[in-house]
Amino acid sequence: MSRHSRRILMNYVFVGLASLATLVAVAALVMILASLVSKGLGGFNLGVFTQDQPGGGGDLGTGGLRNAIVGSLILCGVGMVLSVVIGLLAGTWLAEYGDGNRLASLVRFLNDVLLSAPSILIGLFAYQMFVVPFHTGSALAGAAALAILTIPTVTRTTEDILRLQSSQLREAGMALGAGKGLVIRSIIWKASRTGLMTGALLGFARMSGETAPLIFTTAGNQFFSMDVTHSIASLPIVIFNFALSADENWQRLAWAASLLIAVAVLSANIIGRHLAARGSQHK
Amino acid sequence: MSFNSSHADQTKVMIAPPEADQVLSVKGLDFFYGKNQALFGVDLPVARNKVTALIGPSGCGKSTLLRTLNRIYDLYPGQRAEGEIRFEGEDILAERDITRLRARIGMVFQRPTPFPMSIYDNIAFGVRLYKTVSKAEMDVIVERSLTRSALWDEVKDKLHTSGLGLSGGQQQRLCVARGIAVEPEILLLDEPASALDPLSTAKLETALVELKSSLTIVIVTHNLQQAARISDYTGFMLLGKMMEFRSSSDAFVKPETEAMRDYVTGRYG
Amino acid sequence: MASVQAVAGDAPRSSSPRGASSANRADKIFHGLCFTAAMTLMAALVGLIISLLVGGWPALSHFGFSFFTSSTWDPVTDTYGAAGPIVGTLVTAFIAMALALPLAIGIAVFLVEFCPARIAHSVGIAVELLAGIPSIVYGMWGLFVLAPWFAAHVQTPLMLALDPDSFWGKVFAGVPNGTNIFTASLVLAIMVLPFIATVFRELLLSIPPYLREAAYGMGCTPFEVVRGVMLPYIRKSAIGAVMLGLGRALGETMAVTFIIGNSHAFPHSLFDSGSTIASTIANEFAEANGDLHISALVALGLVLFMITFTVLAAARLLLGRETA
Repeated sequence: MSRHSRRILMNYVFVGLASLATLVAVAALVMILASLVSKGLGGFNLGVFTQDQPGGGGDLGTGGLRNAIVGSLILCGVGMVLSVVIGLLAGTWLAEYGDGNRLASLVRFLNDVLLSAPSILIGLFAYQMFVVPFHTGSALAGAAALAILTIPTVTRTTEDILRLQSSQLREAGMALGAGKGLVIRSIIWKASRTGLMTGALLGFARMSGETAPLIFTTAGNQFFSMDVTHSIASLPIVIFNFALSADENWQRLAWAASLLIAVAVLSANIIGRHLAARGSQHK
Repeated sequence: MSFNSSHADQTKVMIAPPEADQVLSVKGLDFFYGKNQALFGVDLPVARNKVTALIGPSGCGKSTLLRTLNRIYDLYPGQRAEGEIRFEGEDILAERDITRLRARIGMVFQRPTPFPMSIYDNIAFGVRLYKTVSKAEMDVIVERSLTRSALWDEVKDKLHTSGLGLSGGQQQRLCVARGIAVEPEILLLDEPASALDPLSTAKLETALVELKSSLTIVIVTHNLQQAARISDYTGFMLLGKMMEFRSSSDAFVKPETEAMRDYVTGRYG
Repeated sequence: MASVQAVAGDAPRSSSPRGASSANRADKIFHGLCFTAAMTLMAALVGLIISLLVGGWPALSHFGFSFFTSSTWDPVTDTYGAAGPIVGTLVTAFIAMALALPLAIGIAVFLVEFCPARIAHSVGIAVELLAGIPSIVYGMWGLFVLAPWFAAHVQTPLMLALDPDSFWGKVFAGVPNGTNIFTASLVLAIMVLPFIATVFRELLLSIPPYLREAAYGMGCTPFEVVRGVMLPYIRKSAIGAVMLGLGRALGETMAVTFIIGNSHAFPHSLFDSGSTIASTIANEFAEANGDLHISALVALGLVLFMITFTVLAAARLLLGRETA
């Protein structure tokens, strides 16, 4: 075979392999989503939303996820409030007050480490900080754990977005005599609104799927409860407990819960992506 | 190409307006970006109620000079100015309360920078920093500012739409309106028309010429014709030095220094 | 017009901006709030490290070095040796990366060089969606779909075909229930794959166009351009991306816990049950009794932290802050 045709052949082989790899990835996505939808939807009935966790050994089709859904909403709600407030302020500090500052470089580095740290370690930490001193797990501890997980994401995206704003915009505000804080709040934050929301949504997407931090802080509650000072149920914990059991009804509910979480996470991702795309059109 | 750096070593020519007519006066100003010196002993007299233009090739320091006048360079550590800038009897460089200074010396930038809010709020933003006014009074201030910057007719029906929805030329006039709403004594403009088409530029220039009856204007421009059109005094800078400063009618007709002569006739730029 | 001028002329010229000092104070308070938030962040990480050290110290001092070398993990006799989970963590992560990396490069290259523009966008989104699926969903899928399939279609035929005493027979020995080190690595690989692919794609897209054009201009085939010019150009950042992916694989809990079989012993074959640090902590913490048991679990966490911190810090140094 001539050198030239050998090169062409190599190229085709390579293209073939690369396409195959892509097919594998797409196939994996399709397979996983298909299982999720068929097993999850298959087990859905109205009771999923109206009834609480059933005991073991129940008939197939009984019980529901109401307490877990409410619990997850509470956990994510409180967690999001904490993460957005702290993350927004910390990211603002890094972007606006932290240039050429060695402390800022350190915070940035630590933030990136925390960003990728295993969530189970954050769960352990939250256990020792928020559970042990009070001798009980609680929804607040769980929300705090979720917040610690999400704050680095929000901080990072906040800083990146704020840095994109032109320095002339800042100067224009200050040239009028406005103080730095006012310029940041009234002008820079407003101009970055879309990007900041995307960051929050991505943080939410991460938060709603996390299980490990909850295991140590709010390990579940069979009953409907809105008491944040004690453990409450949550979808991930329900899955964790039910999936490994041999109870068919429990397994059905575990799939239903998985579907709910996946829908929440994917919607947040898609909305966030959509917002980001629209935001960049405006420029 | 006939630029040679010996141009910058020539004797400077300074024909300043009388002291009594000067609202601001820069004397012996040096400026540093970190270790690099950008301005060398610059003098600049600014006459009240007149338009003073700063011209010169890229990198000559005209924007740097402008940015010392309202201490906007303070935002960046590592940049510092030494010398004297006298404004109504006080030295700007020694001034502690920069906020007050910036109320009296305003700035319009090269790229239009409308704030992400409505046209009305853009103008009200600055005013609210300094006064509490009723809505009726604010309406009046907004209308007056927009009229003086030749924008009122184009936006009077959409005051509460976003400033970002205007064209580039309109945005820039909005920035002018925003700047004059707080009633500064001096308005600084840094190449305000460089991103605008000729029609918008013409409207902006007309507005600036009318504004000088109530305030003083210092404008940096790349556009020699613009400087000749609208300015009363012109300062020509080269490599961080003020080479020639005279009334515009004299400066453009018969430049004294060879450096300015060559620049004005286009032999370098 | 007259009334307009009257109002405008009223402003007292020399008055300072209203509330100058209160505006200054508001600025200082705002600055302080931002600073506090940043310090909270730092405190969280520092607190994390300290709590791991403090919590794990009793177990570490009790068992000394044997904590890392012994594979006996027995809550009944309160003996804890972490070799099993540590080895499991490293093995699953490395197998996962070995499987995922070639695929990820293939996907990234395909999307950037070969894919028609119209579908590149959708496929790119599909890959990113794959990255967004929560790990517990991967765990569910692995346990209920992959494991049975694997047991029936891979393990059983292999066991029937191979002589149990032969070399390959030993490599693939194991209970055919599909929950073992290999399937756990497989799930982990699928989890980590989209992340690495996305990062690689962004890196490839950031290569200056003139480099590609120069290579094509010389008559290179696309394969040669990728291999000779594009991949070498991003080498440093690519290694950083790989380490970032490795960091994630090491710390992953839920995708692995369901499917790894949860045995603390040293895994003897590819299809043997095992455990990772994360799966051990997740499974045992709720019912851990005895301070030494809990301390041993925290000590495990400390080990995991040291491993991932090293990997992530190295990745950060290589990558800078380019990618999320």
